[in-house]
Amino acid sequence: MNFDNLRQFLPDEAVLLSEESRRVYECDALSAHRVIPGCVVLPDSVEQVQAVLRYCHANDIPVVARGAGTGLSGGAMPHAEGVLLILAKFDQIIEIDAKQRIARVQPGVRNLAISDAVKSHDLYYAPDPSSQIACTIGGNVAENSGGVHCLKYGLTVHNILQLKIITIEGDLLTIGSHALDSPGYDLLALFTGSEGMLGVIIEVTVKLLPKPPYSRVLLAAFDDIEKAGNSVAGIIANGIIPAGLEMMDKAGVRAVEDYIHAGYPVEAEAILLCELDGTEDEVLVTIDKVETLLKEYGAIEVRVARDENESLQFWAGRKAAFPAVGRIAPDYYCMDGTIPRKHIAEVLSKINILSEKYELAVVNVFHAGDGNLHPLILYDVAIPGELKRAEAFGSDILKLCVSIGGTITGEHGVGVEKINEMCVQFSEDELQQFHEVKAAFDKKGLLNPGKAVPTLNRCAEFGAMHVHKGHDKFPDLERF
Amino acid sequence: MEQKIITIKEQIETAIEQRENLKIVGGNSKSFLGRDIVGSKIDMSDYTGVISYEPTELYISVKAGTLLSDVNKVLSEKNQILAFEPAEVNEKTTIGGVVATGLSGPRRPYAGSVRDFVLGISCINGLAKNMSFGGQVMKNVAGYDLSRLLTGSYGSLAVIYDVTFKVLPIPEFESSGCKQTSRQEALETMSELSVKSFPVSAACYYDGLLSVRFSGNKKVVKDSMQNFSLQEMDNSEQFWSELRNFKLPFFNSEKPIWRLSVPSSSNIGFEKDDYVIDWGGAQYWLASERPANEIFSLAEGFGGSALLFHGGDRSGDVFQPLSKGIFKLQQNLKQAFDPYRILNREKMYKTL
Repeated sequence: MNFDNLRQFLPDEAVLLSEESRRVYECDALSAHRVIPGCVVLPDSVEQVQAVLRYCHANDIPVVARGAGTGLSGGAMPHAEGVLLILAKFDQIIEIDAKQRIARVQPGVRNLAISDAVKSHDLYYAPDPSSQIACTIGGNVAENSGGVHCLKYGLTVHNILQLKIITIEGDLLTIGSHALDSPGYDLLALFTGSEGMLGVIIEVTVKLLPKPPYSRVLLAAFDDIEKAGNSVAGIIANGIIPAGLEMMDKAGVRAVEDYIHAGYPVEAEAILLCELDGTEDEVLVTIDKVETLLKEYGAIEVRVARDENESLQFWAGRKAAFPAVGRIAPDYYCMDGTIPRKHIAEVLSKINILSEKYELAVVNVFHAGDGNLHPLILYDVAIPGELKRAEAFGSDILKLCVSIGGTITGEHGVGVEKINEMCVQFSEDELQQFHEVKAAFDKKGLLNPGKAVPTLNRCAEFGAMHVHKGHDKFPDLERF
Repeated sequence: MEQKIITIKEQIETAIEQRENLKIVGGNSKSFLGRDIVGSKIDMSDYTGVISYEPTELYISVKAGTLLSDVNKVLSEKNQILAFEPAEVNEKTTIGGVVATGLSGPRRPYAGSVRDFVLGISCINGLAKNMSFGGQVMKNVAGYDLSRLLTGSYGSLAVIYDVTFKVLPIPEFESSGCKQTSRQEALETMSELSVKSFPVSAACYYDGLLSVRFSGNKKVVKDSMQNFSLQEMDNSEQFWSELRNFKLPFFNSEKPIWRLSVPSSSNIGFEKDDYVIDWGGAQYWLASERPANEIFSLAEGFGGSALLFHGGDRSGDVFQPLSKGIFKLQQNLKQAFDPYRILNREKMYKTL
């Protein structure tokens, strides 16, 4: 493939052709999958992106868009014969309209940078994926990113108003508007979470929210994971929607305590963190209610943060969970299934059985409020066969999630990582519909090929049984 | 597969063979919406019932023909609501129509829209393929978000037969207040309400009167009412329900009724026409004889869009005309779901 021609549209230094300069971009945060891109381009204007896309379209060259490369599912894994289109230079906040509570930003702006920029107006951008210090808004839209506060404040799709995109043909289009509803089919919803398959996002208008004036965190310890799960349902049944509701199992608590000494009760089978926000009066009343409820549901200990600092300390443990796990194993593999909350205890006990079967330890941290699990499978890539075993273990966890009415990915996306499991969650007709939708935007299939939606042939080779939304053929049989 | 689903599939298969148009009908309570179309009926009104409702999981799954009033009743028994406050136009309004039209009520700017609360949809496309997208869980990014794409597609992509919504607890306390004021001042107050952390759940300006509803903690609601010197409304429930259900006296106008969705900062003045401002300034209801083109350009000028809601010429443009590039994508999507253009053909746009 001749990529030299791209220098017609871009300065020489924005087209990387040498192997050592391309190798830098061989993977995103799913580092187990690596491909050296055919060519890397770093445009800094809309016109340059249009020109690159037009050229690729005319010459049938695959294009993979990439932001900060923090994605966990290999969505930005390069294509060996394609162009890796890096949007990092689009890092400007174009407009902040505090009165309308919106900000218009370029795709390479970091998630946290938006909240920092609007702080002086007492506003913030709600979705807060754990990588928010590094991940960029373009990638957040492509993956429909969540975070710890989405139970109350929603996902990316609930917090954006308008996108400017460039089609594979190089056309610049505006999707959505600064009004709340827009005419025609809801392309904004379709684009959100479409994993770079439909077009390249070049500008995002996000909604901003007033900063809640007061917030507090409760920490509850349980001697039984089922009681912890039931207490989550109990809080919600009582009409309370916490800002965040996180759970961690014993292995997680121990890893965190060894790492940062957050003061978590290490003897507990599970701990629950519950954040409440709003006005001070409101939060204080709700804290009392939640404390009583947690005790009723069998918490052996409930601590209420006395002040903002202690709230932060409670959170510190949860936020350090991944690096803490990184200390106890050479490698870990993070899964992302979502399940109906009522099955939490059942799923965790099955994950533990799988852990014995695959002889790999697992640590469970998850967004309990919305049933989004993040089992971290511990392995050592240096030991032959362990990565394969970890992947097989992960795949079994995802099948388990689908079989009880959940999904294979809550917020990390399908990418290359979970492409086989898509065959388990969707029927042939459904996958075919996804392909038709893709063709509506990208007939030649040049944008991010091989990601997000498997071909029907691939599913046949994978040999997976489509599990119909929790209606297994033999629901009584245990399936791991 | 339920008999009803088999019947719909057969209807579509026959329509493909005979190149016949199909018109999807529920309770017919919103048949005045969209363009006038012809076709054999797919009647969803006999496909009813709650499939599953789990209050602690915050979701409800219902069949499309289920009456909205029945869904609201089931939810209220567990102190929960559809937070996007859909219109019950009459007693026959079905949940399928709510999703197909995607119209949200007064709570929309503060709680979210119909599509924000749709978690999953089962449907049959124009090739008679039976499919399910999304599910019952809040967080789900497997595959394209087709359940949200189908919301508000006026039945022109697929026949929606089951829908799962996220539901929310009924607010602990609600109170509404009002005051006589100018449009300018009303819009300024609405803006202030959204920028600060007030528990506002509806804000409307009609007939010289600003009405605001607060929902949440009792003390916070009362303090907010005081903060804006609002006088407690004695008919608040009736007022919000009339606004939600298009029953305010304004909606009896003989003139065509338009709905404008615009940025909340628009501040549009109408000297001759009657209007209602809802959604904290982001939605205008307008009764006007002005030509459609004029209204469309007006809305576009403010960065928004217009919909000919009631009356007027239903054979012309009813929805805001789209730019060439965006319209091409709409046509491609129609092709992707319904290549023979059988389902609700021309309901949204003449060539869709």
